[in-house]
Amino acid sequence: MSDKIKIEQQQYWRSLEARAAGGEVFDPVPDSAGHSSDNSWSRRSFLTLMGASMAMAGLASCRRPKERIIPYVQAPEEIVPGNPKQYATTMPFGNRSYGALVTTHEGRPTKIEGNPLHPSSLGAASAYMQASILDLYDPDRAGGVVHDGVDASWDYFVAHWKTLEEKFLANEGEGLAVLAEPFASPTLFRLKREFEKRFPRATWATWEPVSDENVVKGRKLASYTPSEDHRQVYRLDLAKVIVAVDSDFLLGEPESITMARGFASGRKVATENDEMNRLYVVESAHTVTGASADHRLRLKPSEIGPFLKALAVELKKQGLNLGDIPESHGFGEHSQSIAVMARDLMAAQGSAVILAGLHLSPEVHGLVALLNDVMAGEPIVRWVRGGSSSVADTSALGSFAADVSEGHIDTMVILSGNPVFDMPADVDFKRLLKNTRNTMHVSLHRNETAQECNWYLPKAHYLESWSDARAADSTYSVIQPTIEPLHGAKSEVELLSLMVSGTDKSSHEIVRDTFKWMMSSGDFEKSWQRVLHDGIVRLEPEGPGPRPNPNAAKSILENRVFARQVTEASNLEVIFTPSYSTYDGRFANNGWLQELPDPVTKLAWDNAALISPTTANEFDLVNGDIVTLALKGRSIEIPIWIVPGQADQTVILPLGYGRTQAGRVGSNVGVNTYELRTTDAMHFATGLSMTKTGRRRDDMANTQDHSSMEGRPIVREATLDEYKKHPEFAREMVEHPPLTSLWEEHDYSEGYQWGMAIDLNACIGCNACVVACQSENNIPVVGREQVQKGREMHWLRVDRYFNGEPENALMVHQPVACQHCENAPCEQVCPVAATVHDKEGLNTMVYNRCIGTRYCANNCPYKVRRFNFFNFTKDIPETTQMAQNPDVTVRSRGVMEKCTYCTQRINRARRDTKLAGAKLNDGDVVTACQQTCPTGAIVFGDINDPNSEVSKVKKRNRGYELLSELNVKPRTSFLAKIRNPNPELEES
Amino acid sequence: MSSDTHKSDTAVLEPPLIGGDPTFESITQDVSRIVERKPPKYWYPAFTVSLAGALMLFGLIGYLVWEGTGIWGLNNPVGWGWAIVNFVFWVGIGHAGTLISAILFLLRQRWRTSINRFAEAMTIFAVICALMFPTIHVGRMWVIHWTLPLPNQMSMWPNFRSPLLWDTFAVGTYFICSFLFWYVGLIPDLATLRERAVGRIRKFFYGIFSLGWRGGNRQWRHYEVAYLVLAGISTPLVLSVHSIVSTDFATSLLPGWHTTIFPPYFVAGAIFSGFAMVMTLSVIARQLYGLTHIITLKHLERMCIIMLVTGSMVGYAYATEFFIAWYSGNEYESFAFINRAFGPYAWAYWIMISCNVIVPQLFWFKKLRTTIWVMFIASILINVGMWFERFVIVMTLHRDYLPSAWDYYSPTIYDIGIFVGSFGLFFTLFLLFLRYMPMVAMSEVKGVLPQAEVHHKEASTVAAGEVP
Repeated sequence: MSDKIKIEQQQYWRSLEARAAGGEVFDPVPDSAGHSSDNSWSRRSFLTLMGASMAMAGLASCRRPKERIIPYVQAPEEIVPGNPKQYATTMPFGNRSYGALVTTHEGRPTKIEGNPLHPSSLGAASAYMQASILDLYDPDRAGGVVHDGVDASWDYFVAHWKTLEEKFLANEGEGLAVLAEPFASPTLFRLKREFEKRFPRATWATWEPVSDENVVKGRKLASYTPSEDHRQVYRLDLAKVIVAVDSDFLLGEPESITMARGFASGRKVATENDEMNRLYVVESAHTVTGASADHRLRLKPSEIGPFLKALAVELKKQGLNLGDIPESHGFGEHSQSIAVMARDLMAAQGSAVILAGLHLSPEVHGLVALLNDVMAGEPIVRWVRGGSSSVADTSALGSFAADVSEGHIDTMVILSGNPVFDMPADVDFKRLLKNTRNTMHVSLHRNETAQECNWYLPKAHYLESWSDARAADSTYSVIQPTIEPLHGAKSEVELLSLMVSGTDKSSHEIVRDTFKWMMSSGDFEKSWQRVLHDGIVRLEPEGPGPRPNPNAAKSILENRVFARQVTEASNLEVIFTPSYSTYDGRFANNGWLQELPDPVTKLAWDNAALISPTTANEFDLVNGDIVTLALKGRSIEIPIWIVPGQADQTVILPLGYGRTQAGRVGSNVGVNTYELRTTDAMHFATGLSMTKTGRRRDDMANTQDHSSMEGRPIVREATLDEYKKHPEFAREMVEHPPLTSLWEEHDYSEGYQWGMAIDLNACIGCNACVVACQSENNIPVVGREQVQKGREMHWLRVDRYFNGEPENALMVHQPVACQHCENAPCEQVCPVAATVHDKEGLNTMVYNRCIGTRYCANNCPYKVRRFNFFNFTKDIPETTQMAQNPDVTVRSRGVMEKCTYCTQRINRARRDTKLAGAKLNDGDVVTACQQTCPTGAIVFGDINDPNSEVSKVKKRNRGYELLSELNVKPRTSFLAKIRNPNPELEES
Repeated sequence: MSSDTHKSDTAVLEPPLIGGDPTFESITQDVSRIVERKPPKYWYPAFTVSLAGALMLFGLIGYLVWEGTGIWGLNNPVGWGWAIVNFVFWVGIGHAGTLISAILFLLRQRWRTSINRFAEAMTIFAVICALMFPTIHVGRMWVIHWTLPLPNQMSMWPNFRSPLLWDTFAVGTYFICSFLFWYVGLIPDLATLRERAVGRIRKFFYGIFSLGWRGGNRQWRHYEVAYLVLAGISTPLVLSVHSIVSTDFATSLLPGWHTTIFPPYFVAGAIFSGFAMVMTLSVIARQLYGLTHIITLKHLERMCIIMLVTGSMVGYAYATEFFIAWYSGNEYESFAFINRAFGPYAWAYWIMISCNVIVPQLFWFKKLRTTIWVMFIASILINVGMWFERFVIVMTLHRDYLPSAWDYYSPTIYDIGIFVGSFGLFFTLFLLFLRYMPMVAMSEVKGVLPQAEVHHKEASTVAAGEVP
């Protein structure tokens, strides 16, 4: 067989001839991994090789180590080409990690879903996580090792390192520094310890622009034993009252999936008699979390500390033991509300929890830790030892920078990250690097930092390398590759291992070594197989954290962050926040995320300085006006965007835009707000000045121009009280004459009939479903210009409306995709019958038949149809094409497309059950959006079966169909949103 | 003509329709010489400009086929833009021709004879422009034939429930009937030109197209019957075509589109705009070609009256839409109309109202409806207004049920270029028509001359009416 298959040009896949000649098992490591800059292999040769090698080797995962491994989740007896397989792995994200199941088609990962066994993903996946598959196939990653601007190889680097190593072994690491990102990997932890042992005088600095540094520090302040790092783990499903203090815990902060799942489980009321949790949100920005609030109070960033102090004082007044803290607070105007809030918290003591935003100061986190200890306690808030994770340390940056600038550092190894781009502006890392002779950067892309370093080492994506991670609750999970490194890249683990051992070992071996080191007893091989299959293993926790010291409250409260500052109206405050799309900039070259509309502003492909309507009025600004923001002698020019409900005199600056070396997608998109960020004002600052430049950007891509529902019953909402009084309020909101149809209706007495229900009370607007849909259905990225013209292709969009006064507006979200109307208006008007009903009730789209009149889109009352105005898929790079789902047609120019209810998933489930001789059970068909929804807001199934979950949900009294008065009979229905305001506050 | 004998009494009372005391000979001379001589000087620049416009149109269509409909300003809520606006506009223009040639013929409005050829030609060229737009506006125009019920191996029929399919039939039928009607009317005049032709080539082509017409009694009898039958077939088309075009909108469920008033309102609007276009063209042509005695002020005044009537009908329809939107109590419907008048496209709405409702009111005054420059400017304004009417209707798309999907549509240079280019095509065809075809129906005009009356001598003593 090896004679027949001749693969030319392949760089990443060793030839099969070698195997035939060589012997029994495949050697997976390319002989010349360093020379892989040429990626001119075709998809066909890739598939041929994959198919052949799979059949011959019969091994499990795609990157084939010498060792036999069988990392299947659903262990098959054999591989059937065309049948995708899922592998368990883990996505590391700072010092957090999220378990994933990666779908691979013939050895090609195509989709990332959450691993249901993993405690931080629970089967769901965030938008970032799902979109990270595009980073794997990012054509801008192509290229090997670069030394001083010249292509080099890994071997060449190893040789170079060997010379340095001798020197550093001799001087114990004097002049050697590592700048790393925080991690939660036991392997990296082990290697770090070995590094410190081997080079005791070397420096190890940890930097990440957005991290939980302050949380950990705060915990230390409140603790008896301040030496150790701890992380908190929440069980919000048990909480009855939640106070979020400038905390976007539902989306913008670590562990948002578990947080959202827990929060939503307290909101999914089945009847009007069910209990609901209550969420108070006190925040400066208007966040996704604020949208779910029952009460929302907007405060300037400088008022957040005083507010917390006031709350602590009130709680103490009402009997909470906080030691010797002051009796009064200076928070006059909201004292009534704070007292009520405190009363509510006290009434729910034991199941009340306060959450503070990552960016708040350590003192705030210390106070919150103390309060939670008495308000919530375990298991709602649990502290576990950080153990093998590392935490960013900004305070150490100063001395590190000093060392560098004084020339003490001779060799700096930068493990991931992008410090040239995202370090505080006053550190001026770019200039610092010039003081160092040898700089090495291992990174996914040749980013801003790599451009400034002597050495660029391509980093393997987590989907193509071995590593491991510990989840927030200490669960161990393995990161196993699903594909051979596409560009001959090496992982951080491999680089660090080379540094500490002096030998070039495979990451597989290194990770297994760690696992051996961690496994104190038991059958190692068996456990290893288990962890490959499940993705996780529940190891003994690294021990609970000690209880905090309530007497610390007094000293904490003396900090100035709790003192009210009187500021002038012209004195603006600023918060730096990670973007919902690019995070800290690491996802800037990811088309799916760039095009993902921000859940609050609905802006895509841009960041903007967010301000409140009142502030906009004061400065005479409208959306898109460019302003100059000046802070401490630094200034940037940035367009503004008005966010109703945001605190006045406050500017929110999303980070992660304005990259210059991100790649073809992300370079020069948006404005780099890091330029205003300094070490003493990492997260927020006062004293910002804003001046109008008179210029404006009118090409900002906003996917939703209109934010008001115009009084229409679109998102139906009531308070819990109203719901109790009028349980059928959602349906009663629309009156219409009896509906009769012109057409003869389909007979669905037999077989399946698909339908969907979306619980608006559980939906938090996080966009995970949008990315899931994009990944599953090969939805093209169209770019800013097309989005700005209103031609985004997302089959599923999340509508965002504001209601109430602009200053105190409340936000609601509603996911809208094709509603699969029974009397579909689109079907009636298509002249060529390209959109028709099938016998299971789906409104199907026949791409081949479509001539593109767009009449169906005009006649769709939900406007969910998407038209291919251009050939949007033509220019997809070859590597990126590998991320596409082979089960879904790629649409050409001139045809209409829309949500299919994941018809390919229905068909696969039907085929699988038919082969098994069974009938489809409820839950066998899971749509992509439903699968990934962190809160389980989306339910899909057979509505012919009265016992199916979807039938039951649809029958709830909160259920309604959008625009049902048009008699289009949508198959997707919604459950009305219920808010649970405090009756005491309602009265006042 | 077969009806001539019945016309005698009206003819006696009416002042002569054609001024300048013409004879059969002079009519033939006046009309034929336009075709036979070199075209007047202005014809060349006019033709050059028009042809340039037409070529630009073809170029832009080529680019459209190459790139896709994305070159236009279309977006997600607004799936139809200028292409559909232009389609309805051009179909509407066409209506006057059919109305003049068919309905006025059946109603024995003898004054039509001076302008019917003209108007019919305009109809055909307008329908050609109109047909182009739905063809090029689809995403995959290379499979546009799937809209036709052609037998195929897939046994796939078009969807007969779709108004776009009805459109295909309606406009297709309209084009075929209008063309036949025009051509049949041309035959006697083409024969006249053939007889007068001097060169071999002219003789050959006019000979071919006049289909061996000799003007014999039998031929005239067959001709008159054929003409009458075609007039009968065309008459319902005047009403049906634009009614069916209106169902593209009326059968949808969009607020602002889903109304039963559309068919009559569209027909009235079509006649309105058609007459305005005939007016614009005939005012120019009668001056430039010295035909003021054939196309008299009397004709123009009557067209003004028709515009006044249809313009008022259109205005009434606008008012009714608003009333019904309020009276229905349907919030979406009410909003759609308030949004029309006061929303982002209010400017377009008020241009429409000014041009279509206010401007024709000038024609209540005899002085104004007999002043050439007033009616000329008014006719242009009315066509602008009627274009905006279609624009306003199509732009209803921009705000429908869910505010989240609302957006704004702005045309690109390609939208504008194709629209301008369609005028280039229209005028190219029209100028070629003026150059090579008799622009006034000689045989029919002769039929309404006093000399054509059997009682000619007696009548001439009575008729001392005004000759403008």
